[in-house]
Amino acid sequence: MKDLAVRLAALDPDAGAALRVIAYFDRLTEGRAGLQAIVRGAAVLAGCPARLADDGRRIQLRVQPDGTDATARPPDPSWMSAAVADGAVLWLERPGPPGPVEAMILERASGAARAVLERTRRLAPPTDPASVELTLDGTAPEAQRLAAAARLGLEPTDPVRAIALADGAALLLPGSADGDPSVGAGSPGPSTGPAWIGAALPANDGRHGAALPANDGRHGAALPANDGRHGVVLPANDERHGVVLPGADGRHADPRQRAGIGPAGPVAALPASYAAARTALRFTAEGTEQDPGPRVVHADRLGGLILLADAAGPGTEPVPDVRALDRAAASAPWALATLDAVAEAVSLRAAATALRLHHSTLQERLTHTRRLLDWDIREPQGRLRLQVALALRRLHRNPPQ
Amino acid sequence: MTTIPPPFDPELAAALDVIGERLPPSLTAEMIQPMRDGALLGDPTDEDLSRGGAFTVARRMVPGPAGAPDIELLVLTPAGARTALPGIYHTHGGGMILGNNRSGVDGPQDWATEVPAVIVSVEYRLAPEHPHPAPVEDCYAGLVWTAEHAAELGIDPQRLIVAGGSAGGGLTAALALLARDRGGPALAGQMLLCPMIDDRNDTPSAVQMAGRGVWDRTSNETGWTALLGADRGGPDVSPYAAPARATDLSGLPPAFIDVGSAETFRDEDVTYASRIWQAGGQAELHVWAGGFHGFDGLAPQAAVSQEARAARVRWLRRLLGA
Repeated sequence: MKDLAVRLAALDPDAGAALRVIAYFDRLTEGRAGLQAIVRGAAVLAGCPARLADDGRRIQLRVQPDGTDATARPPDPSWMSAAVADGAVLWLERPGPPGPVEAMILERASGAARAVLERTRRLAPPTDPASVELTLDGTAPEAQRLAAAARLGLEPTDPVRAIALADGAALLLPGSADGDPSVGAGSPGPSTGPAWIGAALPANDGRHGAALPANDGRHGAALPANDGRHGVVLPANDERHGVVLPGADGRHADPRQRAGIGPAGPVAALPASYAAARTALRFTAEGTEQDPGPRVVHADRLGGLILLADAAGPGTEPVPDVRALDRAAASAPWALATLDAVAEAVSLRAAATALRLHHSTLQERLTHTRRLLDWDIREPQGRLRLQVALALRRLHRNPPQ
Repeated sequence: MTTIPPPFDPELAAALDVIGERLPPSLTAEMIQPMRDGALLGDPTDEDLSRGGAFTVARRMVPGPAGAPDIELLVLTPAGARTALPGIYHTHGGGMILGNNRSGVDGPQDWATEVPAVIVSVEYRLAPEHPHPAPVEDCYAGLVWTAEHAAELGIDPQRLIVAGGSAGGGLTAALALLARDRGGPALAGQMLLCPMIDDRNDTPSAVQMAGRGVWDRTSNETGWTALLGADRGGPDVSPYAAPARATDLSGLPPAFIDVGSAETFRDEDVTYASRIWQAGGQAELHVWAGGFHGFDGLAPQAAVSQEARAARVRWLRRLLGA
């Protein structure tokens, strides 16, 4: 009967208080209560606001003594606090040093929070596929999409990109609008740097630990291990190296996925970013001799080429220039890769270097391909025509999903 | 039927450890008087009730049922109200054996802070000294007086609702039945908060929760036996004592019913909502996962308690157009 009992809020710090504190957090841990419940318990038992701050996991919880949430201002260093785990700190918003009951609350609450962090890190992949999917779903109400993003630790105004992977998976990649977000590096497991939710770009070629400039776009994105189709990952972010993605069981992921990357924008624009990412994915290639080209394409670097996506697909007849590329491909195993290198490189000499050919060998090859194409790819006009033809060929090979 | 109970919500379970020290799950008849004397939860003073001047506090002695003593109505009016407001007629809980018209009135006061309303809380005679029908007839007499004096109380008679928790929820349901059957006051709604409505005390949830949580099967037997004596669970119990006994649930005002999944009253309350729908009536049912009896009042800080309280205010807004 609600009228009969002492409210928990009336708990006074008498002789039995410490024991009750212990029992309270033990029960929370037994019941696998979440961080919010633990911080709330600390606030209620201490009778002052409590908070848990963990920049690494983008966790900012603040609860008032009546149990309601409240916006966090920066912590005051004079408050009493206890470390939870690598960088996470539990605070009671009261100047220290703590008395016996407060010390017990800090000890027990931080212990319970540590158990939650260890449990969620060990047992669950750092992904929430349903929430990722929801943020990308333009048919979902914006409020739902923002709430899903919040579950992933994203504020509405955080710049974030959507990534479309070749197998249909989707990832989110926080990053600034002007910087390159695809730089991620680190090792699996708990990170000590600023964590972000993101796709792993470049990375793992399957044999090496992977160290590829994120920008070059030639290598695939790695998928989070064993969590299925959609995901987010939490690598550290320090230098321009690829990431090795943490899998739930510590194994490394399927390497080398082709990826299209959407433009950065606020969370509410993620459906549009994802649509652009899927279009960009169609401009990617396997990076093989028969399908040379970038494994990763940024939608916002395609420029006007993106308009070609609607014009070329399984239902449209390839233009003669695409057929000419197919003829070239059939004529020599090196032909397409050579043409692609020339199309992409700043000079023929740079193309030769990329192909690891002597300059004169490249010239011989181009003489050969000149006969198969009916235009000269060494002219500026011809290079543009080649680039467009290569892009169209990829669009035909990668129909809209 | 399995007797494995559903788990408590983790936050509620932690709070229950503390609550259980002073409120054991099972109350027996010998414990009634000590419970009354103990005043575990101090009743609010007039100063508490005024909430710093937000409410004016008044008491009215009004006629009780024919041949019975007058009853006291506690009237809490939002300060500065200039137009007629909705009225909340409140029947307190306490298992039919405990409490007074100040008990639990903080809940309606919280609602009235969000949705301005005049609160009238009735002091009814308690069992076992005053068995059925004394408690419910006291409540009904106070309701009739309130409706007849709505203008004087600043209540819009079109927006008078009845509300109560636990035993008070059972009395509230009975008031709605009585008002319908006697052609009494027109009610705009009935708020049945974890209501105690079935003296048979034999549902799966009653069996599951025996010895656990708050107000278990033993406590329930204590309360119903105090009210009904040897008739409890028998064939001749009035629906005005135990509304689950009503055979006709049509023609009732819209109901708000909430209950925890881990309490004795879960199944009788869910059934009551279902039967209202089956009779063509309007009911909104909330079953809060892992809630024990009265969880939102005993552990108000828990997330599920905050949700439960917010749901009531949202329903009132929709119902009363406030």
